Amino acid sequence: MPKIEVQREDLYRYIGREYTNDALEDILPYAKAELDGVDEESGILKIELNDTNRPDLWSTTGLARQISLYEGLSQKDYEFSTDYGDRVIKVDPSIKDVRPYIVAFAVKGKGISDEGLKDIIQTQEKLCWNYGRKRRSIAMGVYRSDLFSFPVIYKGADPDTTSFIPLGEERKMTLREIISEHPKGQEYGHIVADEKVFPFITDAEGKVLSFPPVINSAEIGAVLEGDSNLFIELTGTDMPSLVLSASIVACDFADSGFEILPVKVEYPYDTPFGREMVTPYYFQEPARVEVSYVNKLLGTDLSAAEMTAALSRMGVSAQEEAGIITIEVPPYRNDFLHPVDIVEDIMMGKGMDRFSPLMPSSFTVGRLTPEEEFARKVKDIMIGLGFQEMMYNYLGSKKDYIERMNVAGNEYIQIANPMTENYEFVRASILPSLLNSESVSANAVYPHNIFEIGKVSFLEPSDNSGTVTRNYLGFLSAGREEGYNSVNAVVSAVFFYLNKEYTLKETADSRFIKGRSAEIYYNGMRAGIFGETNPVVLENWGIQMPSSICEIDLDIIL
Amino acid sequence: MDIDVKSLHPLEIKLLRAVGDSDEITTQSIISLLSYKLGQCNQAFSWLSAKSYIKEVKRTARVYYEITERGREYGVKGVPEIRIIELIQKDGPKTMVEIASLLGLQNKDVGSAFGQLSKEKVLAMDSEKRVNIASGELPARITVLSGLLKRAMETDLLDEDSLSLEEKEVIRNNSKKRGAAGAPFKVIEREEVVYTLTEEGKKVKNFLIAEGVTGEEIGALTPEMLSSGSWKGKSFREYTINTPANRVLLGRRNPYGEYLQWVKDKLTSLGFEEFDGPLVENEFWNGDALFMPQFHSARDIHDVYYIKNPSHAKEIEQPYLDQVAATHENGWKTGSRGWGYRFDRDFTRRQVMRSQGTVLSAKQLHKAKIPGKYFGVARCFRYDQVDATHGADFYQTEGIVLGEDVNLRTLLGLLKMFAEEVAGAQEVKYVPGYFPFTEPSIEVHIKHPVLGWFELGGSGIFRPEVTKAMGIDVPVLAWGLGIDRMALMHLGLNDLRELFTPDIESVRLRRKN
Repeated sequence: MPKIEVQREDLYRYIGREYTNDALEDILPYAKAELDGVDEESGILKIELNDTNRPDLWSTTGLARQISLYEGLSQKDYEFSTDYGDRVIKVDPSIKDVRPYIVAFAVKGKGISDEGLKDIIQTQEKLCWNYGRKRRSIAMGVYRSDLFSFPVIYKGADPDTTSFIPLGEERKMTLREIISEHPKGQEYGHIVADEKVFPFITDAEGKVLSFPPVINSAEIGAVLEGDSNLFIELTGTDMPSLVLSASIVACDFADSGFEILPVKVEYPYDTPFGREMVTPYYFQEPARVEVSYVNKLLGTDLSAAEMTAALSRMGVSAQEEAGIITIEVPPYRNDFLHPVDIVEDIMMGKGMDRFSPLMPSSFTVGRLTPEEEFARKVKDIMIGLGFQEMMYNYLGSKKDYIERMNVAGNEYIQIANPMTENYEFVRASILPSLLNSESVSANAVYPHNIFEIGKVSFLEPSDNSGTVTRNYLGFLSAGREEGYNSVNAVVSAVFFYLNKEYTLKETADSRFIKGRSAEIYYNGMRAGIFGETNPVVLENWGIQMPSSICEIDLDIIL
Repeated sequence: MDIDVKSLHPLEIKLLRAVGDSDEITTQSIISLLSYKLGQCNQAFSWLSAKSYIKEVKRTARVYYEITERGREYGVKGVPEIRIIELIQKDGPKTMVEIASLLGLQNKDVGSAFGQLSKEKVLAMDSEKRVNIASGELPARITVLSGLLKRAMETDLLDEDSLSLEEKEVIRNNSKKRGAAGAPFKVIEREEVVYTLTEEGKKVKNFLIAEGVTGEEIGALTPEMLSSGSWKGKSFREYTINTPANRVLLGRRNPYGEYLQWVKDKLTSLGFEEFDGPLVENEFWNGDALFMPQFHSARDIHDVYYIKNPSHAKEIEQPYLDQVAATHENGWKTGSRGWGYRFDRDFTRRQVMRSQGTVLSAKQLHKAKIPGKYFGVARCFRYDQVDATHGADFYQTEGIVLGEDVNLRTLLGLLKMFAEEVAGAQEVKYVPGYFPFTEPSIEVHIKHPVLGWFELGGSGIFRPEVTKAMGIDVPVLAWGLGIDRMALMHLGLNDLRELFTPDIESVRLRRKN
């Protein structure tokens, strides 16, 4: 979830009023946001935005817009002009299979401030990273529009013969050199690296604007404080999210006092919105919800008028006709997938304190799973036998689960993307967890009698997932007097009090001392194993106290 | 005078009562007065000194002789010299080898005994190399040694000061400091401390006598005393009740597990039925079925662990796969317009470690009763740096409520019930939240008396894209509670890693608030 930093002063100016920190915390949820931190010295607020479908909120102006509307401090109407003048982008057929779409607009204003510049860079980052899938589906560039002339050309360029001076460098580099040597090339070059031609934007005379989605040119693409004429383009693979993002940025500029100058894009191929588009472009369809559905879902008896008033507070204009509310989606939003999305805006527009809690009245029977019921019985017996219940992590290392246990570990499930080797395997047995406990507890008063009832998971080819999860009991006893006879006595007591019959079979499991371990059979199925821990295993764990261990599959004896 | 008789051991009581006000108190005097063993003497001295009832007045080096195993054998069977003389007097001359075998002695012991006795003209070798009687008179050293052995058999130790000059000489010749196994006595050098009663000690002594405390009171009551009735007419030693209690190692629940059990019991008492599931899941149930778009940043909310092999499940249950795929692509029959992308049927089979308990809720939907209430306490896994607030695996407590009467207000009612019943909260606040699979979404915040406001849980009404794709037409509330945080508060901990600590002692000593 994106986090943004905003200047408190700017935020409050855009909203139109000031807040205490507490009051701000109370209002932020109505923009699906929460206050993450306040730097009182610099006046910077750290804000986390939770709704991943509302990228319009990921900037100072966007967040302020939502709150200002909610507080009734402003009304927003973004009717962008369609008079594009000479501002035209010509798309070349060569780019069709690489990165097919581009949208753009220009802005004119009184000179961008330092804070404004920071906010636009932050918006660009959040949009392209979080919403644009790390620039794969959306990349954005900002330029000084005084330095180039229309029409702008968007095309595919040969990576080895095309070169320019990228931002952050002083020499000309080919596109191929940029993706291997430039820091931004190393970060984003992989998006286009396998293509025959790379995306490239120039002006009418061939002056380079940028190599999207990687890097701008050092000259035209370097925006400075005080610049008053800017050109913004977005390239990508998904037209609706591209158009939405352009509208969001345009609304942000409009809110900070800029005039929005539209741009016409001419495609030589079809797009979801035709071959010629003037952007910013309003593409949203009206959304509808039945009044009765709203009341059913909210448990209320609201009138249509109350609902449209609530929506208006959310910045959404709505009309009711014949029990159906139709909304006009603001240009900066595209998150009305289902009527329930309108219901939520109505809920927020009313405010949470307008809904009183009501107890669910249906009668239902509470019940634990049979496995949980059985586990509790076994726990009671283990506690009666003097064992301390432990609880362990389910992920661990190859070293602990396999090497130290003196086993091959073929049944262990391996994580493909472990964060560290400490959490690389899923436990297939409780025994390593117990021995790990013993290895770190030599200073605890002896004897040690510990157990856990928990889940293990291991490979099982016959299952749809190729794995199986089971409920196991594992226990360990460590002390001078510990040996086969004492663990055998515990096993016997457990089965006696569970009123279950079992048989034993000799085993040559490498985790145990040969001749002092046994497999437990229940109804002809192997249900567990116990015995004296092999000193090889004890030594691997650095344990200097004799111990015996046992593990039983509770799902088998349930 | 405030004297705590209960703090006095019978050994101390008897000693105090037995000594005179100005007596010199030594191990020797106490052994002869009270027949204490040496160890008992030392214990009594150390306890009484610690209480300042006796004080040290001087120290002297003393030599003792302790009888060895060999000495005891001599004491029982007689010293070898006597046995040899008696044998020959009775049965006539014998060779040394015959003597050794008849008396069960070592040849060398017979040899050295004969050598000495022959010098003293008690025995002599005859012409046939047999040992025969010469004077036959026992030398004084043997008589003295026999006497010493006899005394030592009773007392273990002989004090050098208690011996005559002649005895001293004999015992020195028959003892060793080290390697004394072959000799009848071992030399023990000890520093002897001399004590006398202090003023306080005298008062205690008089008190004991006045009160009639003898030190002969019954200590442990035995089955034998009960069966013989020998306890009758006797008094019992009184114990100090404030003696620090001994440590008991007991069988016990893990307090975190106990808390989770309490939560489960609470939820079942509120009419919820428990569900459970495997640790390994696939993208379908872990995200797709929850209407989280496959290639959208919403998916980044949960950075998941992938399974290396098998990387994909064999198949996804139908008709849910088709229904969910269509819902993602165009909304299917859910009333939604969908996400408008091509659903990836390979990606959806990709296997992951379950990253959210909501998976279990999604899987329960198609088999749920209506009306129905369900919950699960599910172990979940996240690709996160492990620290005080993040675990590689942790529990989530989640559930659903299905029914025709389910709506936003009953959701608030449910949250209020959780806040009051599970968290014991008085003040509750509801704020809009965001979860990819619920709309509307609500967070519930409660006020903790110390920590202030904090988020108890998240909830909402499942999106129809989630429920209808599972064949459910009634509204479904979905909720999750931040149980780990409450468990930490409950257990007085502030680090999530502590909940799964392997440290036995720390779990043994952990208690609940």
